[in-house]
Amino acid sequence: MERFLLISKKEFMKYQKYVILLIIAPLLAFSVHKYYISLCEVEYVEEKKSVQIIISHFIDDLEITLNNEHKKDFFLATNKEAKNIQEIYEDYLHKHLKFTINQKPAQYQFIGKEYDDDLVRFYLEIPNVQKLNSIEIENTCLIKDFEDQQNIIKIKVKKFNKTFYLTKSNVKGLLKFQ
Amino acid sequence: MKKITLAILSLVFLSSTLFAQENTQEKVRQKGHYNSSKFKQLDEELPTPNKQHMASGAPGYEYTQQQVDYKMTIILDDENQKIFGEETITYHNNSKDALDYLWVQLDQNMRAPNSKTNDVSGGGPDALYTPAKFTKMFMGKPFQGGFNIDYIKDVNGNPLSYMINFTMMRVDLPKPLAAGEKFIFNIKWWYNINDYMADRGRSGYEPFPDGNNLYIIAQFFPRLAVYNNVKGWQNLQFWGRSEFALEFGNYDVSITTPKDHILNATGVIQNPKEVFTKEQNKRYESSKTSFDKPVFIVTPEEALEAEKSKNTATKTWKFYAENVRDFAFSSSRKFIWDAMAVDFNGKTVMAYSLYPKEGNPLWEEHSTRVIANTLKVYSESTFDYPYPHATSINAERQGMEYPMICWNGGRPDENGKYNDRTKKGMIGVITHEVGHNFFPMIVNSDEREWTWMDEGINSFVEILAEYKYDPELFPLSKYPKNIVGYMSGDQDQLSPIMTQGDNVFNFGSNAYAKPAAGLFMLRQTIMGPEMFDHAFKTYAKRWKFKHPTPADFFRTMEDASAMDLDWFWRGWFYTTGNNDIGIKEVKKYHVTDKPTEQAENLAKRYGITVDQLPPSLYLVSEDSKEYTDDLKGKKPEDYTVLNNYLQDNFSAEEKATLKAPKYFYELVFDKPGDLVMPIIVEFEYEDGSKERKQYPAEIWRLNDNEVTKVFPSSKVISKITIDPDEETADVDTSNNSWPKNTETQFDNFKKNQIKG
Ligand SMILES: [Zn+2]
Repeated sequence: MERFLLISKKEFMKYQKYVILLIIAPLLAFSVHKYYISLCEVEYVEEKKSVQIIISHFIDDLEITLNNEHKKDFFLATNKEAKNIQEIYEDYLHKHLKFTINQKPAQYQFIGKEYDDDLVRFYLEIPNVQKLNSIEIENTCLIKDFEDQQNIIKIKVKKFNKTFYLTKSNVKGLLKFQ
Repeated sequence: MKKITLAILSLVFLSSTLFAQENTQEKVRQKGHYNSSKFKQLDEELPTPNKQHMASGAPGYEYTQQQVDYKMTIILDDENQKIFGEETITYHNNSKDALDYLWVQLDQNMRAPNSKTNDVSGGGPDALYTPAKFTKMFMGKPFQGGFNIDYIKDVNGNPLSYMINFTMMRVDLPKPLAAGEKFIFNIKWWYNINDYMADRGRSGYEPFPDGNNLYIIAQFFPRLAVYNNVKGWQNLQFWGRSEFALEFGNYDVSITTPKDHILNATGVIQNPKEVFTKEQNKRYESSKTSFDKPVFIVTPEEALEAEKSKNTATKTWKFYAENVRDFAFSSSRKFIWDAMAVDFNGKTVMAYSLYPKEGNPLWEEHSTRVIANTLKVYSESTFDYPYPHATSINAERQGMEYPMICWNGGRPDENGKYNDRTKKGMIGVITHEVGHNFFPMIVNSDEREWTWMDEGINSFVEILAEYKYDPELFPLSKYPKNIVGYMSGDQDQLSPIMTQGDNVFNFGSNAYAKPAAGLFMLRQTIMGPEMFDHAFKTYAKRWKFKHPTPADFFRTMEDASAMDLDWFWRGWFYTTGNNDIGIKEVKKYHVTDKPTEQAENLAKRYGITVDQLPPSLYLVSEDSKEYTDDLKGKKPEDYTVLNNYLQDNFSAEEKATLKAPKYFYELVFDKPGDLVMPIIVEFEYEDGSKERKQYPAEIWRLNDNEVTKVFPSSKVISKITIDPDEETADVDTSNNSWPKNTETQFDNFKKNQIKG
């Protein structure tokens, strides 16, 4: 019991630290720029019958969210990074990034991730899409922890481009082709 | 001989006109239009020059600027987090105008219960509400912020009439203040200091679990607004985002704090012996010769000792600051203070850092060194840093600048560990905020109106300073392509850079990153560092301690470089357009001495025979029916017509230096993007060697959609890439190569993933 208490207290303190972190929406406080955005680029490649997805997040923001959710420190993109990070990432994305293609939920494959400076990019693919009549994207990444989070979705289908700016009050974008 | 050539030349011109007419099919009456050229001069956008802001972009001989001096007595009440002040303001009317009233800024009123800042911002419910926030927002217990004005009196103690409109206060003058006269008056005020960790504010105090507070006090006293001949009184409200427009002046300030506090501020301490211990004072003096490394003025041990208890006695710090546009200070028991001297051509400037133990080891390792580096790089780009010190204060989650002093976030975790991102963030924010000493503290543009003039210009020099400090952590290669994501976004979410700061979408990208990327591109790619640096320095020197406008910047950059950049300012600053240049078509030509069909047609049209054409060479496209395999590999000098000419006109020596192209490429560039930009082309040859050619932006003068160039080459080109180093913020690189690269970023990654 003693032991348990000790751990949970420590955990609690950690949690407290993050709670303080997340209630700020720092646009007002910062003269140096810090903005909460993610970019999700979606392209339907007709020749390959595949939907290619690249989603980029600021590592800092994603780290705060994952740490909060799991109540531990993942040390993203450092040599102390958790061994099972791949799993954690996949799990997070499956919960917070959802695709519906031709009105049916579509599963994507996790191709991989790369770190680039302060960004992490995830490569996801939905194969075997014979024809794209409609695509709906629900992106709830990071909005729980950052009130001002803006998730930008750029969709490219042949010559057609569309950009959605998703926020906490608007988490879905739908595109239909006749 | 000469005559024939001339005749033929005019034929060529005539013929192209004829072609154009032949292509006109329908007789639809076309509408006229205004000059819509992307190269049209900015005369209609820029204000008419005058004797204050001249056509060259320099201050004119009738340029005037008001001066405002402040004498203030401040009391910081740590017990109750309140601040009290009495100030004597001396307003010098250096303008040629008589003034009926003065406008004074009351920025703290943004935090008053009746503040309109919250009223104007929309949005749905928050993700979560802390009890404090909930009570504040919904239960009628708002924070009692904002100025309480005790009195406003003239020098004789008579009350002055005044009116407060949100964050602005009009003080009515008993009689008009004539040109060249001064007016002295007194204001007494106080306010409750906000907990900036809770209300996400700019300045306030940070409470620590040990019961101590760290104060960062700014925009804390009624300050005069700017009066000039550009805006009259600059009295746009302070909504919390767009910053300040202030007059220069001298400050004589005394601040009373608890006896165990350590404090630094804008200006120089006048009574170090009274506020420091004997030991600290000795270190304060000796630090002035420590040029190689930071040394402590207040040691970590002293700070640790001070934060253990609370002394209720007080002491008074006396500061004097000359020719500054504002005054700010920071105070806490928790402060460690280190210092290093920086030499500017024989003049010593002090780099100071004040931080709580929570900032270590990050702060003692980097802060003061970063300040010194920033001052050096910025001084090289502008003028020698003119103030006696530059101070960086560690205030969590802040990044805010004032003359000589700034607040910067960034701390290691509770075990003192930090990763590269934390370190990078901290070095970045210190460089940025210390850099603001130059823009806008000294080159004093109107921040309330034009955020880009301080944030954008500062973010640009910041890139150079960070790179100097740590090129690995801050590589230059990410500029200007870092702005592509923003510029290719939905047009509904973009505003031109030339938009008042409060009306801007995506503030960070619009007012910081885009102007910085633009200036970076101007320096590296369009003007070249030599030309750019001279012009940029000219701007900084011309407007040092003055109030420049955007036009002064645009005009000076051209005035000092003899480069017409109106097209760049127009596109990058006045529109939301982006750049996309592609290679549409590549045709290979060979040389022949046999007149081509095109040449025959030309002769026919003017009633001469092919033989009557002057001796000439002709280019044949590989895909035309006139092309025969024997032309392949023929050198131009294989043809007698050229050979004879060379024999007659050049010595053997000269001939040796002549190039001998074998192939001729017709390159068609198209431009789906709105902006005009130089075309940077990289040619890769069969043998693997590479060559670059940069066509100036003016190539788009007469055709905004497509241009064609002929490129002679002695080797076969295997690959052509436009903007290979991503120097022009091209938003779509899928059309940047020939042969066309159909591989997406995704395909590349996937391929490597499988390989790896
Ligand atoms: Zn800034």
